[in-house]
Amino acid sequence: MLLETIKKDFVQYKAQAEQGEFLTLREQAFAEFEKLGFPTTKHEEWKYTNLKSITDKTFQSTCEIKSLVNELFNASIESKLTANFLVFVNGSLVNELSKIIEQDNNIVISSIAAARKNNQTIFNQHFGKYAKVEGEAMNALNTALLSDGAFVFVPKGKTVTHPVVIFNISDASDLNVLAQPRNLIVAEESSSVTLVETYYAVGANASFTNVVTETYAGKNAHVEHYKIQQQGGESYQNNFTQIFQEADTNINHVTLTLDGTMVRNNLHFYMNGEHCNSLLYGLYVTDNKDFVDNHTRVDHAKPNCFSDEKYKGILKDQSTAVFNGKIMVHLDAQKTNAYQRNQNILLSDDATVNTKPQLEIFADDVKCTHGATIGELDEEPMFYLRSRGIPENVARKLLLNAFADDIAEKIKIPELVELLENLIDEKL
Amino acid sequence: MSGDKNKVMLEIKDLKAEIEGKKILNGINLVVKPGEVHAIMGPNGAGKSTLSSVLAGRADYVVTGGEVSFNGKDLLEMSPEDRAREGVFLAFQYPVEIPGVSTTNFLKTAINEKRKYLGQEPMEATAFLKFMREKMELMEMDKALTSRSLNEGFSGGEKKRNEVFQMAMLEPKLTIMDETDSGLDIDALRLVSAGVNKLKDGERSFVVITHYQRLLDYIVPDFVHVLYKGRIVKSGDASLAKELEVKGYDWIKTEVEQEANA
Ligand SMILES: Nc1ncnc2c1ncn2[C@@H]1O[C@H](COP(=O)(O)OP(=O)(O)OP(=O)(O)O)[C@@H](O)[C@H]1O
Ligand SMILES: [Mg+2]
Repeated sequence: MLLETIKKDFVQYKAQAEQGEFLTLREQAFAEFEKLGFPTTKHEEWKYTNLKSITDKTFQSTCEIKSLVNELFNASIESKLTANFLVFVNGSLVNELSKIIEQDNNIVISSIAAARKNNQTIFNQHFGKYAKVEGEAMNALNTALLSDGAFVFVPKGKTVTHPVVIFNISDASDLNVLAQPRNLIVAEESSSVTLVETYYAVGANASFTNVVTETYAGKNAHVEHYKIQQQGGESYQNNFTQIFQEADTNINHVTLTLDGTMVRNNLHFYMNGEHCNSLLYGLYVTDNKDFVDNHTRVDHAKPNCFSDEKYKGILKDQSTAVFNGKIMVHLDAQKTNAYQRNQNILLSDDATVNTKPQLEIFADDVKCTHGATIGELDEEPMFYLRSRGIPENVARKLLLNAFADDIAEKIKIPELVELLENLIDEKL
Repeated sequence: MSGDKNKVMLEIKDLKAEIEGKKILNGINLVVKPGEVHAIMGPNGAGKSTLSSVLAGRADYVVTGGEVSFNGKDLLEMSPEDRAREGVFLAFQYPVEIPGVSTTNFLKTAINEKRKYLGQEPMEATAFLKFMREKMELMEMDKALTSRSLNEGFSGGEKKRNEVFQMAMLEPKLTIMDETDSGLDIDALRLVSAGVNKLKDGERSFVVITHYQRLLDYIVPDFVHVLYKGRIVKSGDASLAKELEVKGYDWIKTEVEQEANA
């Protein structure tokens, strides 16, 4: 049982833990987790997402690193980029594969462990301040038992020249593995950074990744954040990202889920100032009995902000997708513009989609639209292509690629988009 | 008009079709020989677009009777893509927008699928681009249009011009144009006509559906047919179109009613 693993891990952690603020924080988080327990389908937010196949298993939190990992890293599309690399295997930093090419010494790209030594002030100022622990069992669990993760600090006015790739591998060659990465991104006023957060798994055993990312965007900051999930084998992931936006910030967040037995994404935006732009785009391509759940929440807490959300899915076989998009327009968030769409194409009669927009609007002068579709490919374009001599299967491919590439193209790294489009093409 | 006088390209015999239980084509007969231009006219709702859709193989329509042969093959048996690759091309009355599929990629795929079907090697990228450039010049297609998604955000006239551009690229044996002239300005009309006339080689045939004589000034038909209530009720030469332009359809409708009553 997973719970036993966790309890054992926490006892072990405490035995060797440092004293002070951090320990207190984690003890509180653990207490919260013990109080809440794992979410069950009785929770409204977890209605369709049954964690039983995870909680019934035993996982190991650490594991030896194998050469397989090097191979996987070198074969990955992300490794082809000119970028800063932080590579984590089962939640621990792998120095040999990590490489920072940023020249500006004021910009910090390091592990969380290093940041706690070298950037204590900034770290303490932001860590745990955005991703809520109260009532959020999985965040509490991560906070209590986090392994390591990425720390990115971009001081005022600075731009990180190349993307930061946060590369996570679960190596389940020998045992079931549990990893709890934790990332903290601090982009100060008028700074800018591009993040590529990516997940893989190797090995014949099961892996469970429970990750939390907190992003703070200072006034007028610009953060591009791309999440690419391709964990193969028997892999489970719970991914919580909380983005906290000050005024005039621009956030473009793209989530591509291309593999994984069970993936639950929780993406939360909180707009704490006026004139913020929040863009949330997602694509999931599922097959077999895979399950993908995207829960998003956009908090329009201040007036004059804009959010645009578009999630698209292509489902094959007996796969299942869940989309739940919550938009909260707070009382004084006048002149809010919020758009949301969820479009699904089912390629099999056995695939299932549960989609639910959730608009809670407390201000009166707002523009909010939402729409969800579940269906097959449109017949009109299909007939048009076929009437030009393109066979049905080729036409279907063209249309599906067009449908998916629309989301992939929200990524602003052309080399990566091209590689991803090839990958999507193969997957289809 | 040239071509082999004894050869028939398209033969439609007593074609009947319906949609959602509604009878729309009630026994169409039409013979098109190589090199011929046929104009089909007729009031709104007569079944002209239905006829072209049935010929192109749109699945919504149920053929309830009759037969259609194309160069000796049973057209109705074929999938839409096979009809196209055998040489049938329909210029749509309302071309659809296809976001995310570029015109260039679409045409390259269409041409190479046709070549594959005919047992030919695929066209090389450079040869294709050269060929496309030629046809773009012919149709005065702006480069910006072909680099965009297929028909996406095109004006009505641009969509129609794009249909004829595709026809020029695919070089079909039989082109069916469904009101390609509607919504075109004078210059575009001339371009579209030039595109058609350029493709005419005495072998290729055209079925031109139109409401207006002005197109037929440029593309002169050998035969003009009037479709009414799902049947061809009158056929004649180019002068019939001119007569219709002046007199409208009422006299034909009256003729049909009288015949029915007799
Ligand atoms: N999907 C459909 N369901 C029901 N009726 C249809 C459908 N499609 C066409 N029809 C009907 O079939 C008839 C013939 O339509 P069609 O589009 O073929 O006419 P048309 O001759 O092309 O007219 P126009 O000159 O206006 O283009 C019309 O009465 C039309 O309403
Ligand atoms: Mg019509």
